[in-house]
Amino acid sequence: MQPLLKVNNVNKTYGKGTQVFKALQNISFTVDEGEFIGVMGPSGAGKSTLLNVLATIDNPTSGDIFIGSDNVAKMKDKALADFRRDHLGFIFQDYNLLDSLTVRENIVLPLAIAKTPVKEIDERVNRIAETFGIKDLLSKYPYQISGGQKQRTASSRALVTTPKIIFADEPTGALDSKSATDLLESLSRLNETEQSTIMMVTHDAYAASFCQRIIFIQDGKLSKEVMRGTQTRKQFFQQILQVLASIGGEVNDVI
Amino acid sequence: MMLFDLARKNLQRNFSSYFLYIASMVFSIVIYFTFVTLKYNDDIEKMTGTSQKISSIMSGSAVVLLFFIVVFIAYSNSFFMKKRKKEVALYSLLGVRKQQIGFMLFFENLFIGIVSLIAGIGIGFLMSKVLLTILIRLMGYSLTAGFTFSMPAVINTIIVFSILFLFTSLQGYRVIYQFKLIDLFHAEKQGEAMPKASIISAIIGTASIATGYYFALADIMTSTAWRIIGIAMPIVIIGLTIFGTYLLFHSVSVFLLQAMKKIHRYAWKNLNLITTSQLLYRIRGNAKSLTVIAVLSATTITAGGAVFGLYYNISKTTTTSTPITFMWKGEALDVPEVDYHNTLTLKDVTLTNADAEYNYMFMSLSDYNKLAVQQGKQEMASIKEGQSVLLDPFFDERFSNKVKGETYTTADTQLQVAEQYEYGVTNIGTTGNIMIVADSTFETLQGEAILTQMYQVKEEADQLQISRDLEKRITEQQQAFTSHPADFEQSMSGAGAMLFVGSFLGLVFLTATGSIIYFKVISEAEADKDKYTILYKIGVNDQQMLKTIATQVAIIFGAPLIVGITHASVALLGFSNLLGMSITKPVLLWMAAYTLIYVLYYIFTTRAFYKIVKNARRNI
Repeated sequence: MQPLLKVNNVNKTYGKGTQVFKALQNISFTVDEGEFIGVMGPSGAGKSTLLNVLATIDNPTSGDIFIGSDNVAKMKDKALADFRRDHLGFIFQDYNLLDSLTVRENIVLPLAIAKTPVKEIDERVNRIAETFGIKDLLSKYPYQISGGQKQRTASSRALVTTPKIIFADEPTGALDSKSATDLLESLSRLNETEQSTIMMVTHDAYAASFCQRIIFIQDGKLSKEVMRGTQTRKQFFQQILQVLASIGGEVNDVI
Repeated sequence: MMLFDLARKNLQRNFSSYFLYIASMVFSIVIYFTFVTLKYNDDIEKMTGTSQKISSIMSGSAVVLLFFIVVFIAYSNSFFMKKRKKEVALYSLLGVRKQQIGFMLFFENLFIGIVSLIAGIGIGFLMSKVLLTILIRLMGYSLTAGFTFSMPAVINTIIVFSILFLFTSLQGYRVIYQFKLIDLFHAEKQGEAMPKASIISAIIGTASIATGYYFALADIMTSTAWRIIGIAMPIVIIGLTIFGTYLLFHSVSVFLLQAMKKIHRYAWKNLNLITTSQLLYRIRGNAKSLTVIAVLSATTITAGGAVFGLYYNISKTTTTSTPITFMWKGEALDVPEVDYHNTLTLKDVTLTNADAEYNYMFMSLSDYNKLAVQQGKQEMASIKEGQSVLLDPFFDERFSNKVKGETYTTADTQLQVAEQYEYGVTNIGTTGNIMIVADSTFETLQGEAILTQMYQVKEEADQLQISRDLEKRITEQQQAFTSHPADFEQSMSGAGAMLFVGSFLGLVFLTATGSIIYFKVISEAEADKDKYTILYKIGVNDQQMLKTIATQVAIIFGAPLIVGITHASVALLGFSNLLGMSITKPVLLWMAAYTLIYVLYYIFTTRAFYKIVKNARRNI
């Protein structure tokens, strides 16, 4: 089967001349459709850079990134914006909700930009709000709801367009453990039932244990890859901790 | 000195953010300096021989101008300081003492002040020649102004702006001392509550504007409201309109935008959601500023339109009151360039009716017809015995006596006024309103016979020199001299100076209001740029982004302008009704000029906004 995301020799460097900083070096990997993949690594390893590059928010210095059959590394700005709109979804640590819009309007926005008919927008928004359990909050404003509710709103916004792939950057970073668990369960349920492809950057081993596969990066390079396989989530969690300990990651964060 | 170095480096590095501030300073100085130069300039009086009029208009306007400049500079400065709060906070965090920061800002201000003063006075000096020439042309003289460097103007400008700089420095000190370091960390927002539309205030707002308009357009003579409120009416109208305008921005706008958001077919398309909700906050938050801007625009457009209208109508008004180039009572004189010359005998007759006694000049029908043909006016077939026709060029339904049908008694007979026409064939200044009677009646009328001379000269408006020569030659033999070119020149120089001052102040107001909106929009763009970064991430393309920005800015600029133009239209309509003259064309010209400059500001602002949004993405 053709992989959904194919990353081929991606490099990202900042600066010029002698002061070059290599944020990403020769990164290559693939993600299949319906996978829930985690990206882990210590601070400054290049996790967020990788996510931004894959998410077409930033350009790689060299290399190819195929999403489906499109090479997003070679696309022009305007085409990229449309591509993001039609095929990608984003969840950010700080939610990135627009505080002048209601919860409903926030979720409507990506569909409105894609010129979806009003009736269809209505149906889709209601369905996704149900999935994330925020149906009663639809007419509230972001400042009136809790962090967990905000993140579920942001997730609804990311998923309402049924994107090919969802990029989540530390989605649980600002949440308490209860809200974090709720969100992660919702995401993993969606991954199972709707076959959504999700790529999540996190430094939290607990959050990562919801994934099926985790790739580790260190100093801008891929260092290790672990699969959940048939392990329970708890076993997988232990495995992740061991890997983190071995590469000197932020084990402290989870204790 | 270290602080001085820091201030200098600051200036060099952040030149772009200083640029706007310096530019507004220089602009204010240029305007003020030119104005003061014109005030101290006595060339105009020497050249034209007119009285104190110009300099008194200039002095009065300079006060208005100064007031405005103070507000404008205070505004630019607070905008500038707001931008720099973070910088000040950072110095403070690094342990620089407040006093030292204050010194640094003081040096900066001193430097900016000196640079702007030199630049402003330099540019102002060059500008004053251009402006002086424009002024002289507007006043109807074909002279060219020379360069004039006026020392009192320089001193005046330096004193005024030094005080202003002192004031802005104090403003800066205040920011430093009020600032608490904790603010730096607390910087960001708790979400503002969505503005709610109050239907009652929306209705009151609309109603109060409507009432204001109704009063403004009501006929002064017949309206009951005018009769009751009387002389205070203009204040009532202005009050109602300003109050209504505020509610318009504060409530009606919110009401409309909320309603638009509810129409999902419209709102849920492209970025309309963003456009409407951003506007909701922006218009409500800026209701006061928008009201001030709308009212200022209305004032400027009304004043400018009215003055321009008067100016535009001068030749018409002059022709109405003084259709003959030169006219006087008495003996003929030798006049050059004459097209035709009439010597007519009129009769000064005393009329009485029940109320009072009147004196009118009488003219025979055949003399009238002769003049009417010469001037291209309608001839009269006949007038019945015992009847007369009154020529009253300044007749106005509302104010003038209606004498049609009235009967007057002369020494030996009775005369009934059959018609009252709104034009004349003689110069009012010489003859007043005249009565026309049939030739046979004229023969028998008892009254002093008066010989009058009328000279029609070619290119009459330009024959000021002949007019002046004639005036010198007038003796006791000639009385009640009236001259079309002299009247024309008189009105032109007065209205021309007014037009100049009006346009000048209008331009200043326009620039200042334009800049204020610019400052506002840009500081809000800075505050909102993260929102646009989110949109960018969601997949909004540049075209859609530009469209929503352009629409938002268009409404922020357009709303007060349209409100201002509407208010001004009503005011000018009232004005032209009152004066009974048509000023549509000059007013439209004036509005078009005003709008054009606004459009330039709009384009400039939209581009700056878009640039901020685009640059924000770099920091992802």
